[in-house]
Amino acid sequence: MAQLRQDYQEFVKRDTQVVVVGPEDAKAFSAYWAKNKLPFIGLPDPKASVLKLYGQEVNLFKLGRMPAQVIVDKEGVARFVHYGHDMTDIPSNTEVLTLLEDVAKVTE
Amino acid sequence: MPRVSLNTPAPDFTLQNFQGDTVKLSDFHGTSNVLLVFNRGFT
Repeated sequence: MAQLRQDYQEFVKRDTQVVVVGPEDAKAFSAYWAKNKLPFIGLPDPKASVLKLYGQEVNLFKLGRMPAQVIVDKEGVARFVHYGHDMTDIPSNTEVLTLLEDVAKVTE
Repeated sequence: MPRVSLNTPAPDFTLQNFQGDTVKLSDFHGTSNVLLVFNRGFT
């Protein structure tokens, strides 16, 4: 999350909103956002409705959820889908920002 | 468990942000790309 915040302006430059969905409730989101001064949109999903819709995997052994990232372009089409294989499997900002530039070329 | 396929429309959804405002994925259509981050939990 800190990694994303660091490059937030780069996402903004690429007409991209960062939207974080998680299983915590609004109170936990609010506290975390305030503590870390996050500029993104935070969507609590305690019923896991969207998490299930997008197939975020639950690691039963570690009782945690696997990270996942999806880039949706301006037409609403999924242009990049990454499901983490373990808790630390998150694409780098550089990778995501490069992909966003490719998306811009395709949709222009 | 369903998964999202590349180059197909991303499933639309509506949730409230933690401030209580309604956020719909399709509201960004035509204006912004969206990087959806499914968080693994706050640590």
